Amino acid sequence: MSLFTRKVEQVPCTVEVSHRFEALHAHVRFNDGSTIEPGDEVLVQGPPVLAGWGEVITEDRTAVITRANALERLWTRLTGDFEVMELCEFSFSEEITL
Amino acid sequence: MNVHATTHDELAAEMGDSFDTNAMAQESTLLNPRFYTTDFDEMDRIDVSPVREEWDILIAQMKSDPNKGHFKKTADWDEVDWDGMDPKLKRELVDFLVSSCTAEFSGCVLYKEMKRRGNNKDICELFNYMARDEARHAGFINDALREAGVAVNLGFLTKAKKYTYFRPKFIYYATYISEKIGYARYITIYRHLEQNPEKRFHPIFKWFKEWCNDEFSHGEAFALLMRTDPKLTQSFTNKLWIKFFLTAVFATMYVRDHARPEFHKALGVDIDWYDQEVFRKTGEIAKQVFPMELDIDHPAWMPTLKKIERAFRKMEAAEKQGGVGGKLAKWSAMASAGMGFARLYVMPVKKSTPPASVRLEPAY
Repeated sequence: MSLFTRKVEQVPCTVEVSHRFEALHAHVRFNDGSTIEPGDEVLVQGPPVLAGWGEVITEDRTAVITRANALERLWTRLTGDFEVMELCEFSFSEEITL
Repeated sequence: MNVHATTHDELAAEMGDSFDTNAMAQESTLLNPRFYTTDFDEMDRIDVSPVREEWDILIAQMKSDPNKGHFKKTADWDEVDWDGMDPKLKRELVDFLVSSCTAEFSGCVLYKEMKRRGNNKDICELFNYMARDEARHAGFINDALREAGVAVNLGFLTKAKKYTYFRPKFIYYATYISEKIGYARYITIYRHLEQNPEKRFHPIFKWFKEWCNDEFSHGEAFALLMRTDPKLTQSFTNKLWIKFFLTAVFATMYVRDHARPEFHKALGVDIDWYDQEVFRKTGEIAKQVFPMELDIDHPAWMPTLKKIERAFRKMEAAEKQGGVGGKLAKWSAMASAGMGFARLYVMPVKKSTPPASVRLEPAY
């Protein structure tokens, strides 16, 4: 891994988006077993995967993984923890006055 | 997590035929969860043997899926008069639903990722059930949003996503507190509305009782995980982290709840009372695994929370003002909020010794 430059990889992936009453979720799985490390960026190619109400869409796509360089990885490891608060139901909105 | 509003037309154009016209969506909200990584090798090394008996009971309970039939709309789901609702209240109610949906959704993304990347059978099984619950909750809230004319857009996958990183222990602390505080929040509202049924302005509150049992059992799982390694709750540094997370979550909740005055007024709930009640319950429950409780009755506790809340308002006003004056005002407000947080953090805690057996049942 380089200190400053980023490596770009193209990997096949499966996207699943469920927009049903029973479950609302959206996941990306890399078909070749690629794993994501801190600071990496993932962009699924193609038009937005938009499931209508009641639909589950599973599609094969290509994802572009931009690997973080060593500095970014370190930075994400050091600072990522503080974003954990967004898992709380009451803490995502940035506005104080609605 | 950020939620960005996209225009209704934009979404309709993107989705074409599959656009949810039945929902009569007047606005749409793009869910924009963050994606996470953690130290998966460390999580693979977790050995639940020390708590095996309690672990198996909890997993069996999750597997039996007691709430499977709960998240259905029944005759109890009465009509909501969205058009007759005060616009301010409607805005805050929608914000409440969107933020709840987003939090469930984020939980689902995080748990699913842990399940997928892990190789530890016990851990994968646990995260699988928790992801299932979160997706179900998100779907249920989403349906309530559709009724309100808000369409949730899941198109975020094709936007660039940076993966952030949480250390496993921070995931335990933060998700444990967030699940338990979620339980305390829901049950407190539910009990309040039992006493004051005329204040129930939306049917979703009727579902809170069984709902919060899911949150409770997720919290139990993290409590057991923390018990597998005594250092997580007993070392000097980790105690400081636990105190940090408790303080940060409580303070955040206080600031956020005060952003929804109409919502709480309609429920007939005094926000200060409600928050203290939720802190009390959460603190009491958390003694099952944390060796301390924040002293929320300390004379400086409430005044400091109020100070932090005022600082956040000033920060926002300063941002709107813009320019050099706005910048300066914002920095000053940030410093004031930071000082407030530091004041809360150095407040003495009430020490306690977690019981030999960690498991609890929902009792409120």
